[in-house]
Amino acid sequence: MASEPATAVELEEEQRLVEEAQAGNLDSMRPILERYAQPLYGTVILPRLGDAASAEEVLRDTLATAVEKIGRFTWQGKSIYPWLRQIAINKVFDVHRQAKRSRRLADALVHEVPAETDPDSHADAQLMADQERRAHRIKIDETLDVLAERYRLAIELRLVQELPREDCAKRLNVTIGTFDVLLFRAVRAFRKHFGSDVPEETHGD
Amino acid sequence: MATKRDDDDILTGSVPSPEDEATPAERAHAKTFADLVDKTLAGRTPPAMSADDRALLEVATVIRAAAGNAELATAKRDALVESALRQAIGGKAVKSGAVTPIAKARARRAPWIIAGASMVVAAAAILLWFAAPRRVHVVDHVIDHAPAALQDNWKSRPADPLIGPISRDHAGDASARLDTIFADRLDGYRELRMRGGH
Repeated sequence: MASEPATAVELEEEQRLVEEAQAGNLDSMRPILERYAQPLYGTVILPRLGDAASAEEVLRDTLATAVEKIGRFTWQGKSIYPWLRQIAINKVFDVHRQAKRSRRLADALVHEVPAETDPDSHADAQLMADQERRAHRIKIDETLDVLAERYRLAIELRLVQELPREDCAKRLNVTIGTFDVLLFRAVRAFRKHFGSDVPEETHGD
Repeated sequence: MATKRDDDDILTGSVPSPEDEATPAERAHAKTFADLVDKTLAGRTPPAMSADDRALLEVATVIRAAAGNAELATAKRDALVESALRQAIGGKAVKSGAVTPIAKARARRAPWIIAGASMVVAAAAILLWFAAPRRVHVVDHVIDHAPAALQDNWKSRPADPLIGPISRDHAGDASARLDTIFADRLDGYRELRMRGGH
């Protein structure tokens, strides 16, 4: 995703497309949906679900809901992205509720982007997505910092740098089987600490 | 062998330190999880896995997503956008694959309905005319080739030669064994499809 902020021209174009959609030409939403699908998926939905297949379903439902309810959207001189983001977050919590599964991942990433709730803000979608990704990364790093050094390295090499298992094992000077055990334990340890400050009673509702 | 108690402990139990020796059961589970991570990184997350593995894999995916390693492919994105538009407008949701944009589809629809209906009627008449003789020909063709035996990897068969004896140490590694059997069967299926079989 590009990190460049949207220009005034792009915002004008977005406003025009939204107005067209509100006038009945729903297909005019297509460029907007295409632009924001990746930031919604990569920074809002997938990090709160942790499952690619579910995340794709939620993204599709989010975009469909946006098209269905575009008539209720009020243009306030800023991007439509915060509105799409809020729909996505609501859908994520619907999934957690329906599946009766722990909301620990979603709750652990509760750090609302301030611009989202500020109607006077002109924050750009790309900036918001970048800000959100940085916030996620900070939460991840905070958890990694409390892990044993070898666990932190195992996660860093395999899940962040995405090196092959063989290379990870070489870097840590262990066999592949031992690296598998290290990564397994590392993810277990990470899970125990991640979001551990979230009150347990908020998980099941 | 992984026991029920081991499985219960995976999410809630204490995590050993990096220097602690792993039990055979933990090694087997770690190998299964490593295979799942491999597949997930390759974009082929298996739909079925244990609840514990799923919980751990979700954590791994969150870490990857936060690192910016979770991109939505353009083709997938376009398919999801198209599916969402269809769903919102009232059409049937499309799960994936190439799709025709709805605006184009609408614009083309009317003239093709008339032309298509005419073509169907004409094709049906021609098929009815030639159906009987062709059917006899097809039957002859099938009989001529009936003795050709199917290859072993296209038929139902026991998995024992593939898996071999299961030692007690590897008894908990059922997931990996299922993957092996599935991959073997899929190879046969793909081979059959690629050569034009059904």
